[in-house]
Amino acid sequence: MVELAIEVENLVKVYRDRSGEVRALDGVSFRVPKGVLHGLFGPNGSGKTTLISILVGLQLPTSGSARVLGFDSVRESLEIRKRVGLLPENYGFYEYMSARENLEYLGRLDGIPPSKLKERINEVLELVGLREWADAKVKSFSRGMTQRLALAQALLKDPELLLLDEPTLGLDPQGSAEFKKLMEQLVREGRTILVSTHLLHELGHVCTHAALIWRGRVVAQGSLGELSIKYREARGYTYELAVAEGVEELLSELRSIAGVSYVALENDKIRVRASRDISEELTAVTGKYRVRYLAPLTPTWDELYRFYYGGGEE
Amino acid sequence: MIEKALVVARKEILENLKSARYWGIVAIFILFYLAAASYAGFAVRGFAGMATFTRAAFELGNQAVTTFQYVAPILGIALGFSAIAAEREKGTIRLVLSRPIFRDDFINGKVIAAVCLITLALGVSTAVSLPLAVIVQGINLTGEDLVRLLLLLLPATLLALVYYAMALFVSVLSSRSGQALVISLVVWIFFTFILPIVASLIAFQVLGPPPAFTGRPNATTPGVPGQEPSPVAQYRTQLNQITSSVQFFSPNARFSSVANAIFARQRTSAGSFAYVSIADALSRGWLDLTILAAYTAVFIALSYVVFLRRQEVR
Repeated sequence: MVELAIEVENLVKVYRDRSGEVRALDGVSFRVPKGVLHGLFGPNGSGKTTLISILVGLQLPTSGSARVLGFDSVRESLEIRKRVGLLPENYGFYEYMSARENLEYLGRLDGIPPSKLKERINEVLELVGLREWADAKVKSFSRGMTQRLALAQALLKDPELLLLDEPTLGLDPQGSAEFKKLMEQLVREGRTILVSTHLLHELGHVCTHAALIWRGRVVAQGSLGELSIKYREARGYTYELAVAEGVEELLSELRSIAGVSYVALENDKIRVRASRDISEELTAVTGKYRVRYLAPLTPTWDELYRFYYGGGEE
Repeated sequence: MIEKALVVARKEILENLKSARYWGIVAIFILFYLAAASYAGFAVRGFAGMATFTRAAFELGNQAVTTFQYVAPILGIALGFSAIAAEREKGTIRLVLSRPIFRDDFINGKVIAAVCLITLALGVSTAVSLPLAVIVQGINLTGEDLVRLLLLLLPATLLALVYYAMALFVSVLSSRSGQALVISLVVWIFFTFILPIVASLIAFQVLGPPPAFTGRPNATTPGVPGQEPSPVAQYRTQLNQITSSVQFFSPNARFSSVANAIFARQRTSAGSFAYVSIADALSRGWLDLTILAAYTAVFIALSYVVFLRRQEVR
């Protein structure tokens, strides 16, 4: 049985003010297995920040429940906050304090013993590449440096689970690439990361699992492979192959396979689209040729995102 | 969990001790105090005959009361208006509240820091100003004068705390520190300038125009038995009673009242004036001190309630 880091059941959050009612979360349910880099993808205003805030107890749900690392987000939020590192959206640091002073303050609030805190601060600053800026005032930091410091504060308590809300927003391409590398490294070390973003092209490819959220509802969730199934059923199966010789003969053989709707040579690679899974036939047909490469094409998160938000229709 | 509150308090104290705003207010305090000392010295030396019924130290006490009445609320507001609203505005509150800390620890830390910073500011101002008043203005302070001037720090601290608590409450309600500052200053202006004028207008409406001055002595000097109060003196007494009633719940009026009790003097058998005993002064001022303390407690309690209920992230 898969161990879960996050388990959300039918979560509803309604904001009420003078102008009326806003249903930010409308029955959200999803699960995040331990040890994965899990995306929470959705456009701005889809409820991602609200969901993350509820997970760490910064907000209370209107109804439904959320368990994080086995703890209830309402009754045991303190236990959650002991174990979870949060990089919120729209956070800020004490600008007239240095990076180290900020981390010292936050580390003390995390309950890290003073004897270990200095060493831990050095470790996380080293990890995010800010060691030499430790004593510089935060007001002198660039956006990228501030973002790295934000990750450092989330890592201070050496958390089992990291919740990162739009972590690459405002980063330049290099900063974003470094950030992604760091996230992958943290997952390899055994941590679980839930990362929310509306920038799929930025973070989609590093996530192995995701929940797609739209207007407060999860429209799809699972691993890339799981989410690809429905996509393929609706849009067809696409394969890519390359052979050393006999391309023309192979093209005509491929066209004769039942269910194949498209065969073409694109940039020295043959692309085949079929309405059903033709993996076995492909293997049989290509056996006669010197195949350099044969692989089913996995849809990108971007394609899945557009597919599921379009209601799964072609 | 008091240690988390102390972590917050420590950071607040250190941050303020490094800030120009805090020391600017202390400097204003000292300037006001020295101006008060100068006035007291000049007044007693400059007006013929004044020295026969008062001493420069008495005048210094009166002027110190005025100084505290104006500057102590400003100190309280300066510490309170940004306490929560600025954290919200900068986004630091999201980093802080995502740690394993109870919300009441956060606000407790703020209050502990405010008590320390207010006490320090008033203490430093007095410690710097009084010796300068003695040296520069040559004001002869007796031990009894010194005790009264130091005792004045108690209601002054409470007055600053009342305004701190009010500003904290406004800060908890506001999302912008600028808005919290404006509202807090409006409250201060109301109690300091508007309410006394309104109280006088009400008194004049109730009593009608003052009686014509008949040339009789203003016979309300305490301790002179058998002297009939003149109609003018009676009118003034009634005027004071009405204005005091209207301003009963004004923290400024309560501070003035307890300060008057501390510096209350009576005619001695030798015909000179001397302070009433400290026990007598405190028995006259206990209700005022209680009201000031109650004000502080009520606004801090309201701040708690609102802060604990308010959800920070949307």
